Amino acid sequence: MIEFKKVTKYYNNHKALNNINLHVKQGEFISLVGMSGAGKSTMLKLLVGEEQLDDGSILIDDIDMTKIRKSDLPYLRRKIGVVFQDIKLLPKRTAFENVAFAMEVSGHTKEQINKDVPRILELVGLTHKTHNFPHEMSGGEKQRVAIARSLAHRPVLLLADEPTGNLDEINAAEVIDLLLKINELGTTVLLATHASDLVNKIKKRVITIEGGQITMEQEKGKYKL
Amino acid sequence: MKFFISLLRIIKSGVMNLRRNIWLAAASTLIMTITLIILSVMTLLFIITSYSVQSIQERVDISTYFKSDVSEARILVIRDELQGDSRIASVNYVSSAEARQNFEENNRDDQLIIDSLNELTDNPFPSTLQIKANNLEDYPAIANMLEESSYRDLIQEINFEDNRIIIERLNSLLTFIITFGLILMVVFCLIAILVIFNTIALTIYNRREEVEIMRLVGATNWYIRGPFLVEALTYSVIAAIITSALILPIYFQMLPKISNYLTPGANIFSGDIKIFLGVIVVQLIIAFILSAISSLLAMRKYLRI
Repeated sequence: MIEFKKVTKYYNNHKALNNINLHVKQGEFISLVGMSGAGKSTMLKLLVGEEQLDDGSILIDDIDMTKIRKSDLPYLRRKIGVVFQDIKLLPKRTAFENVAFAMEVSGHTKEQINKDVPRILELVGLTHKTHNFPHEMSGGEKQRVAIARSLAHRPVLLLADEPTGNLDEINAAEVIDLLLKINELGTTVLLATHASDLVNKIKKRVITIEGGQITMEQEKGKYKL
Repeated sequence: MKFFISLLRIIKSGVMNLRRNIWLAAASTLIMTITLIILSVMTLLFIITSYSVQSIQERVDISTYFKSDVSEARILVIRDELQGDSRIASVNYVSSAEARQNFEENNRDDQLIIDSLNELTDNPFPSTLQIKANNLEDYPAIANMLEESSYRDLIQEINFEDNRIIIERLNSLLTFIITFGLILMVVFCLIAILVIFNTIALTIYNRREEVEIMRLVGATNWYIRGPFLVEALTYSVIAAIITSALILPIYFQMLPKISNYLTPGANIFSGDIKIFLGVIVVQLIIAFILSAISSLLAMRKYLRI
């Protein structure tokens, strides 16, 4: 489903990614581990077209990221859900409205939104917070709203960039459990993190990145840095 | 269907932007209104002045009064001769009887004049040739030619009211209005662009989180830009409505009076609804262009898509 071929990316003169080769199969759950600045986020940014690669190629299904037109990026982004460490919810909107926002953008009708949003909130276990604002929720709940929003377009791929970075252990575990559940329902998940104990519990494929290069690949792996 | 849902959401979002920054919106609308008022007033002044010039030009002619003993046949020969002149547009013959009749008709309410006219045994009105030239500049030459013609002896008086000075003054007023108006317009257009540019830039800043999330969840470029354009265009629509309401009484009440003052007795300018609608359409177009320019500039500079 995703194919990185000899991908190289520079930031000014700094080589952020160096000759990355990676194949991700449909329905996989992959943990990208490594220290801050290792290049995890850059890999995710390349996948949504936020950054352009300097050498090599990336294929998502049969879409070549080096050839995609700028005007087609929005449609690609509707197929890829993204979750961040800093959550990025709209503070003046309720959980429902934050999720609905994503559906409004792509021109869904009010009826569709009223039908789908409660289902998605139920999936992330936040039915009871439907009409609460972000400041009335815990960090984990907020992140689950963000995950719900990223699911609004029924993405085939979910990218999570340090989603547990600002959360305590219990909340972090909840978020990881949710990602695993989403993965079980068929969505490919790419989780970038440096939280070793969480990765050890997941027991899925682990890719370790150091200094912009893949240094280790393990099936059912552990965090070894 | 999807298109209309999105369009509706864009318009709604644009109007919401405006309401969130109501004071900035007011400032933008005000400056746009001032610009449009200047544009409208200049246009109306231009219209009324050129209308006056035209109606004065229509009234200019040379009246050649013939002595009472000159026969009608002789006058008609002279008329035919004059009509051959390429500078002359028309020559109208008014016989002394017709002249008297016209006079009586014009003064039929004034019994005193009619009575004193009836006292006279002879017809005091001479036969006349009214000459109109093709060009305003030709009148002095034509008047000169009549003065030096072979039939000068038959003519009692050549009456040439030289309105050229008035026309020249009106024309220079016209030039002044155009020059001054254009300079004023350019200055205010620039101010309007700057003010709206800043307003939209601030809206973009206030909504930067929302824009970022929009991009994230796959909003198209026009869905992200649309609300800012709608906001700017709304300023122009409101400004155009206010301006129209303000110039409505000027156009239909004051302009006819100014027209009467500038060219008394002439064809008085009576507000033509078509011209008024034309002025409104033009100001709306200019306002739209200004809004579009400033919001697109602001988006180019501050909106990362």
